[in-house]
Amino acid sequence: MGQNEPVPSLLLIEDDDAIRTALELSLTRQGHRVATAASGEDGLKLLREQRPDLIVLDVMLPGIDGFEVCRRIRRTDQLPIILLTARSDDIDVVVGLESGADDYVVKPVQGRVLDARIRAVLRRGERESNDAASFGSLVIDRAAMTVTKNGEDLQLTPTELRLLLELSRRPGQALSRQQLLRLVWEHDYLGDSRLVDACVQRLRAKVEDVPSSPTLIRTVRGVGYRLDTPQ
Amino acid sequence: MTQGKQGGRGWSAVRKGKLSRLRLTSLRLRLVVVFGLVALTAAVSASGIAYWLNREAVLTRTQGAVLRDFEQEMQNRAGALPERPSQDELQHTAGQMANSSQHFSVLLVAKDAGGTTVYGSSGGLSGFSLEDVPKTLRDAVNKKQGVTDSNKSPYHVYWQRVVEDGTPYLVAGTRVIGGGPTGYMLKSLEPEAKDLNSLAWSLGIATGLALIGAALLAQAAATTVLKPVHRLGIAARRLGEGRLDTRLRVSGTDELADLSRTFNLAAEALEKRVADMAARDDASRRFVADMSHELRTPLTAITAVTEVLEEELDSEAGSMDPMIEPAVRLVVSETRRLNDLVENLMEVTRFDAGTARLVLDDVDIADQITACIDARAWLDAVELDAERGIHSRLDPRRLDVILANLIGNALKHGGSPVRVSVRLEDDHLVIAVRDHGPGIPEDVLPHVFDRFYKASASRPRSEGSGLGLSIALENAHIHGGEITAANSPEGGAVFTLRLPRDASELTEQADKDKEDAS
Repeated sequence: MGQNEPVPSLLLIEDDDAIRTALELSLTRQGHRVATAASGEDGLKLLREQRPDLIVLDVMLPGIDGFEVCRRIRRTDQLPIILLTARSDDIDVVVGLESGADDYVVKPVQGRVLDARIRAVLRRGERESNDAASFGSLVIDRAAMTVTKNGEDLQLTPTELRLLLELSRRPGQALSRQQLLRLVWEHDYLGDSRLVDACVQRLRAKVEDVPSSPTLIRTVRGVGYRLDTPQ
Repeated sequence: MTQGKQGGRGWSAVRKGKLSRLRLTSLRLRLVVVFGLVALTAAVSASGIAYWLNREAVLTRTQGAVLRDFEQEMQNRAGALPERPSQDELQHTAGQMANSSQHFSVLLVAKDAGGTTVYGSSGGLSGFSLEDVPKTLRDAVNKKQGVTDSNKSPYHVYWQRVVEDGTPYLVAGTRVIGGGPTGYMLKSLEPEAKDLNSLAWSLGIATGLALIGAALLAQAAATTVLKPVHRLGIAARRLGEGRLDTRLRVSGTDELADLSRTFNLAAEALEKRVADMAARDDASRRFVADMSHELRTPLTAITAVTEVLEEELDSEAGSMDPMIEPAVRLVVSETRRLNDLVENLMEVTRFDAGTARLVLDDVDIADQITACIDARAWLDAVELDAERGIHSRLDPRRLDVILANLIGNALKHGGSPVRVSVRLEDDHLVIAVRDHGPGIPEDVLPHVFDRFYKASASRPRSEGSGLGLSIALENAHIHGGEITAANSPEGGAVFTLRLPRDASELTEQADKDKEDAS
């Protein structure tokens, strides 16, 4: 972490005092600026005031739960969201990913793992090259990190954008879920393929003309996904 | 194949049914035998008594008539003879006597005037002779008895039944009182014997019919008794198979109905008991689940903080009080252990509650194993014999749990090198993990997958939660696979994991079940 690199600011929404305090402590030590909220409502309020770079969100919250918070944020904002969930094979993960979360971490959370995930998510917004590519009506401007469809700007989360960039870098070539997990999420070998599936669904909803019959992001059975130029 | 199996089972069931019907100890056979014996005893004794009474009556009547006649003839005709008759006279009288209504042969014996014994036989010389009369009878007839108040005559009529050439005869003899010839008579009892014979035949046939009737009745009785017993047997079997809601229809008030009622009561009690136990079991499982959930919240906080402590330890040596440092290290390591334990406990409760779910993905097995070994820094201690390119559809996280537990266990108890080999068998993926240790004692082998199993009570459990292998097994089961433990003939323990190559059918099935349930 260089001196001139801006310190990422996080919003941690967690109702349990001990966990909140401990995670705040741990994340602050990892070099983040951390704002905390004890409920979904407080979190949403704080979000409007502070505008953090990323949100760490507990699923089980009093009042409106994590999924609802996630959905409400997604209505207006493409901020990266990492869920704190009970279990990787829970229905929670599926619902959380469908509500628009970018990644999830299973409790009991290890600070280092959470930090790695946070950094990986934040890296997705970084630009890396200065070219553009177009797929039918879809234009990906890698310099401006924008995607337009029929000339209109699309609001993509950094994860969705990164996924589209990785696919567009190898047009017509199928990428397996495990490959995408490594490229986009920077997960190790135990990456959860549902992250990819959920993100592809969200991306299709934004870039495809008819999301249920995709012409751009195609599923390759038994392998993964592929970005095609529509005929 | 299933067809053949079913057919075979059906056939054996038929054979079994036959056998049970024929079995010597079967209730049906015993009933038939007992009924038969009762019928036989009754019929035989009734027939026997009837036959005996009839025989006596017939014989006595015939005999009485014959003897009366003979006596009459003796008095009338033999008594009319002179004291010393001639041969001719005797012969003539004997002929006359034999002509009476009863048709018997007569032999008269007397002394003639010359003192020689003369005989007169009704059938001529070739007919009835003195040889035909038993000696005992002759002696009795010729014996003169003293005349007393109760015995008024010195001679009586004596008789005896003899059988000659299969024909029964009545032989009788007497002496004319006051001197005169001695007379004997021989009467064939063949007509009476024939009558009695046919009576015996009829009685025999009647007995046979009674026996057949008894057998049929026994069959009927056995059926009425055995049908409820059979039903009871089926119900008991169903109950034994775990269908605790099995009940019998109670009809009637007999002992079998009583038995059915008792069965129903027992089944009800059992059902309630099992339900109670299941509820208690559920409650205790829920308690463990809740407990581990509750433990997790403070643990999450502690884990996050211990990492801060750990980093403090690692950062610059000497920055911490040397007295405090070991304490911090202990807290850090034990927190990690506690974390693993709670993690495993939650995993176990998830399996127990049936809420564990597969998250499937296509993975390269060799890559997956390499990554698993690499992540735990076991590369130097593990030899991997697996070709790349073996793909399988399974839950990579669960495969990792299985492999980590199997390899970790092998390293801990067997020592390196641990050899992991992968091969394909039909639609199954087979991964064998073999160590080079002393192997697993035979008595421990069946328990290696038990939760918290300790090989010996005195041996403290080594690090690890004691749930690892059990969780590995559960993870294999949820894939529709299996893990077996054995000792290799070349030494060392071998754990063999068998997983179906594609577990997606299982998840589809599970989803379907869930939909049906909801």
